[in-house]
Amino acid sequence: MRVLLIEDEAKVSSFVSRGLTAERFAVDVARDGKTGLELAQTYEYDMIILDLMLPGLPGTEVLRQVRRTNSKVPVLVLTARDAIQDKVENFEAGADDYLTKPFAFAELLVRVKALLRRGPVNRSSVIRLDNLELDRLSQQVKRAGRRIELTSKEYSLLEYMMSNAGRVLSRTMIIEHVWDRSFDGITNIVDVYVRHLRNKVDELHDRKLIRTVRGVGYVISDQAEA
Amino acid sequence: MNTHSLRFRVAAWYAAVLAVTVVLFGFAVYMGLGRYLEQTLRTSLRHKAKDVALNVAKVPAKGEPWFANEMNEDFDNNKMFLRVSRQDGSVLYQSIAPADKGFDPQKVPRISGQVEQDISADRTLPDARRLIVEAMPVTTPDGKRFLVETGALFQPIEHALHGLVVVLAVGLPFILACAIAGGYLLMYRALYPVNEIARQAEQITSRNLSERLPVLKTGDELERLSTALNRMIARLDEAFQHINRFSADVSHELRTPLTILRGELEYVTERQRLAPEVLDTLGSALEEIDRLTKIVENLLAISRVDAGETRMEQQRIDLADLASTTAEQMQLLADEKLVSLRYRLQPGIRVQGDPSRLRQILVNLLDNAIRYTGEEGWVEIAVYTQAGNAILEVSDNGAGISAESLPHLFERFYRADKARSRYSGGAGLGLSIVKSICVAHGGNVSVSSQEGRGSTFRVELPLATGAVTGQTPAPPPKIPSEVHEAGYAQLQRKS
Repeated sequence: MRVLLIEDEAKVSSFVSRGLTAERFAVDVARDGKTGLELAQTYEYDMIILDLMLPGLPGTEVLRQVRRTNSKVPVLVLTARDAIQDKVENFEAGADDYLTKPFAFAELLVRVKALLRRGPVNRSSVIRLDNLELDRLSQQVKRAGRRIELTSKEYSLLEYMMSNAGRVLSRTMIIEHVWDRSFDGITNIVDVYVRHLRNKVDELHDRKLIRTVRGVGYVISDQAEA
Repeated sequence: MNTHSLRFRVAAWYAAVLAVTVVLFGFAVYMGLGRYLEQTLRTSLRHKAKDVALNVAKVPAKGEPWFANEMNEDFDNNKMFLRVSRQDGSVLYQSIAPADKGFDPQKVPRISGQVEQDISADRTLPDARRLIVEAMPVTTPDGKRFLVETGALFQPIEHALHGLVVVLAVGLPFILACAIAGGYLLMYRALYPVNEIARQAEQITSRNLSERLPVLKTGDELERLSTALNRMIARLDEAFQHINRFSADVSHELRTPLTILRGELEYVTERQRLAPEVLDTLGSALEEIDRLTKIVENLLAISRVDAGETRMEQQRIDLADLASTTAEQMQLLADEKLVSLRYRLQPGIRVQGDPSRLRQILVNLLDNAIRYTGEEGWVEIAVYTQAGNAILEVSDNGAGISAESLPHLFERFYRADKARSRYSGGAGLGLSIVKSICVAHGGNVSVSSQEGRGSTFRVELPLATGAVTGQTPAPPPKIPSEVHEAGYAQLQRKS
């Protein structure tokens, strides 16, 4: 998979390209809008990650011109501007997804993979992780064959985490999927719910599935703790 | 009618001045006319007396019968009174009663004492009417002295004056009324553009600052007013745009380094095998980055709401629905602290606004209330209407807020409890956000509290038009406690 990263801030493009390379992507980096547009028009990329505030050609203009010749390539817009009108403008120009700085790399990765349809597209009704089982149809959760009673929020949280098993999920990602943006800001609601979920899922078992990654977020995984 | 309006006040002043002028004018006309008529009457009486005196002078030559005859011709059917008396007081001639029997000459009192020169000698008749009398002494060529008195009733003058009073009493109020009505209309016409300017200026908020008032091409003060207002709006517009640009720039400048910091640290922690204490240090740094990020986000959110974000969603929202669904999602936070959530919700109260912003009000207030309420305490959410406003109240029986902290509570970065652990949320921005959102929705938020007894945060929002359906408005309904419990149980099951 070949990704074009158009980002003028050297340090941002550096850690993003390192991170994506580690996930086995081939990453080309363009440092300004014009170069980025030339690259996008020359090579067949599987995906473009585009910063909006670029020297030379602004990101939105790059997006419009790319869309004129190539309507298929998924474009993930990366920006520090999150006013609603900016978002609307860029979605209208043909963006597929939108990520506001500062973002967790894990979140970028989840979104990249989702756009490439390589991500969490497990549509079978039952998700399994170790001996934990979640049935999307009956909304039942079992561990080692024993049923676990969850409230609907706890269920949504677990479903989201299990669909992204092995991936660290930031609090913002969890809030946006399970609650909505208005809960972001001052509450520690995610921590409270994860703590409750962990009590119900992991307490009676030696093998702990839900882990806290300090400063980043939470992950559910059957890998032993690093 | 607004008694403080310029129109009313100008018209009232104008009416008062006009009324005083008109009354003074009427009084002057009345007095003037009275004097004039009396003078005219006296003059004609003196003329008559002079005529009679000329005839009296001929009495020694022509004899008294001739005189009586002459006078009878002259004063026959005359409304005047005439009496000619000799020096000893006996009457030489006296006019007969006038045709209309207006007075009886016999009953006119005699003048007492000698009259040496022409004088006015008015008499009062037995029936109290006034008789104007001019007396004139005459000496005949043979040295005999006579006194000529001519008189007329004052009554016709009184009648004329009375007629004038009637005309003034009817006419002047009518003229006054016409003048006031005309003045009021004129003021209305003159001030209509001012009302128009006020109405249009009212429509301009931070969200449509690009609009301008219509400029009146009248060349007068009103044109100056409208252009001055427009220039002021233009300056406001510029200032708001500046703020918006500034937030966008600040967001970029702060967020990019935060992105880099976070990205680099995450990369290291996830890809390298590090000693636990290093991991711990990096985790702590990441937590601080998270905190900084939240502060930046919240500050930007406040400045955007304050600057009047151009695309704020507008929906009709049932406040009770919003309150119960939001509180339901925060149930676990309350359960953790063994705090019970109580509800006192009047359904069907709708407000106009952005649902996610309004929800944020609830989230922040509830989070705050739960945070400061001790174990086994309660937090109550109430929704009702009062005086045409939708009221949302979040009260608790927690720690309360000290009196000196109350006025600063909604200020940015203000913390009532300075010693509180720092990682407890939005760095003292939660309530400022609530305030900004309330104000952006045309409402307000206030707080009352007693230290140690609890606090009540009260949000007032304007009702959406036709908002209360099938409900009697205030006072807030007192729902019996078992209903609380039922609601509570139901919500608990759902969460």
